[in-house]
Amino acid sequence: MRWVDWYGDSSLHVLDVALACCSLEFNAAAPAAAGPAVEPPVDGRTAVVVSGTVTDRLAPAVAAVVDSVRTRQQVAPVVVAYGVCATTGGPYWDSYAVTKGVDVLVPVDVYVPGCPPTPAALREVLDGVSGRAARGATA
Amino acid sequence: MSAPEPVVPVGGPAHGRIRLIEPACTSCMLCVRECPVWCISLDSHTEPDPDVPAGARPRTVNVLDRFEIDWGTCMFCGICVEECPFDALEWDDAHPAPAEGSLDLRHGIAELA
Amino acid sequence: MRDVAAQDWHAAVLAAREDGYGWFDWLGCVDEIGVADELRVVLSLRRLDDASAPELLLQCRVPRSEPRVDSVRDVFAGAAWHEREAAEEFGLEVVGGDRRRLLLDASVEAPLRKDEVLAARTAGPWPGAKEPGESTEGGASPSRRRTVPPGVPAAEVWGDRDPDGPPPDPAEVAAASTGGRVRRRSR
Repeated sequence: MRWVDWYGDSSLHVLDVALACCSLEFNAAAPAAAGPAVEPPVDGRTAVVVSGTVTDRLAPAVAAVVDSVRTRQQVAPVVVAYGVCATTGGPYWDSYAVTKGVDVLVPVDVYVPGCPPTPAALREVLDGVSGRAARGATA
Repeated sequence: MSAPEPVVPVGGPAHGRIRLIEPACTSCMLCVRECPVWCISLDSHTEPDPDVPAGARPRTVNVLDRFEIDWGTCMFCGICVEECPFDALEWDDAHPAPAEGSLDLRHGIAELA
Repeated sequence: MRDVAAQDWHAAVLAAREDGYGWFDWLGCVDEIGVADELRVVLSLRRLDDASAPELLLQCRVPRSEPRVDSVRDVFAGAAWHEREAAEEFGLEVVGGDRRRLLLDASVEAPLRKDEVLAARTAGPWPGAKEPGESTEGGASPSRRRTVPPGVPAAEVWGDRDPDGPPPDPAEVAAASTGGRVRRRSR
């Protein structure tokens, strides 16, 4: 789990909650200019992207991480459920050990379907979050 | 030495989403039952078959009322496409769009066209 | 595959290590319900002096009702993790083993036993329960036998059975997970 300065210019910080295979698509989605970040400024624009299956064992930790961001940031982060595991539990919906979607734990703002979704789908969502889509700028 | 030929996938569109060809669907329920994640559901009813010739035994046909795929759960395995005996489901390039509500990821006949 | 009596398990694993099979690969468990009323515990070892030599598989069988096997974590420390996993997934009692739960919530018991039904498949209606020509509002004849989804035993075996009757036969429940839905009238 790490913060990513998505455009490399501190305009959007994305928390990469990398739980399973969708995290590989997250990595592929990151723009070339993306860079690591320690923490975003408290008044900065942020997004939390949950990529992959939320196991019941890990659920409290995932909830705590997202809640800590929501508490810390002055502007609420946009929480993205990336892929069907994060949306409903996906292929593991009937497992004895899986939480059926991260929205069981925290409010989700955007659900991205796919197993996995395309990296482009995440780029488009985050371009929308950052306001770049509205201005017509590309990442 | 020239660059190797790029590998071009053959056999159909990218697996972006699954579309429903409504006129081909007979409401047989096979896709619904074979889906491993139960993301397909449908409703249908029976009506008398209008094409029965005079004097023949009356028959009924299934009429599809509702068909839905929940993209919030679909894992794109393609079993439904393979199992449909009437080729009413096929792969399509377009990807279902992200949504603000998970229930908005449930697409009906119009969105699946 | 070397078959070992359950009471000789520890001695057999120790002897194999002393015989040159010094690398512990994995320990697993198989629920033999439907074939025998047993759990099969299997362990794989490799030789350190000859990496190309085939693995040595040791196995023992323990009754499902009293599944007890000695821990071999004093022979191979790495076995401790695998024993914890087998214990919580199959309800295997590992005598002298690490008793801590590994991954599962305390409320989940032996989920990999084949007579354990996935609760999520029984919680809501199965979309496939309808017949062609039926809608959610009804239309099926009430006397028609309802289809159950794969992995869920027929109602009279597990869900809707007579409360005064005998407990469901684990083998019958396990058979449901392989798609067998017809109840064989064996009694």
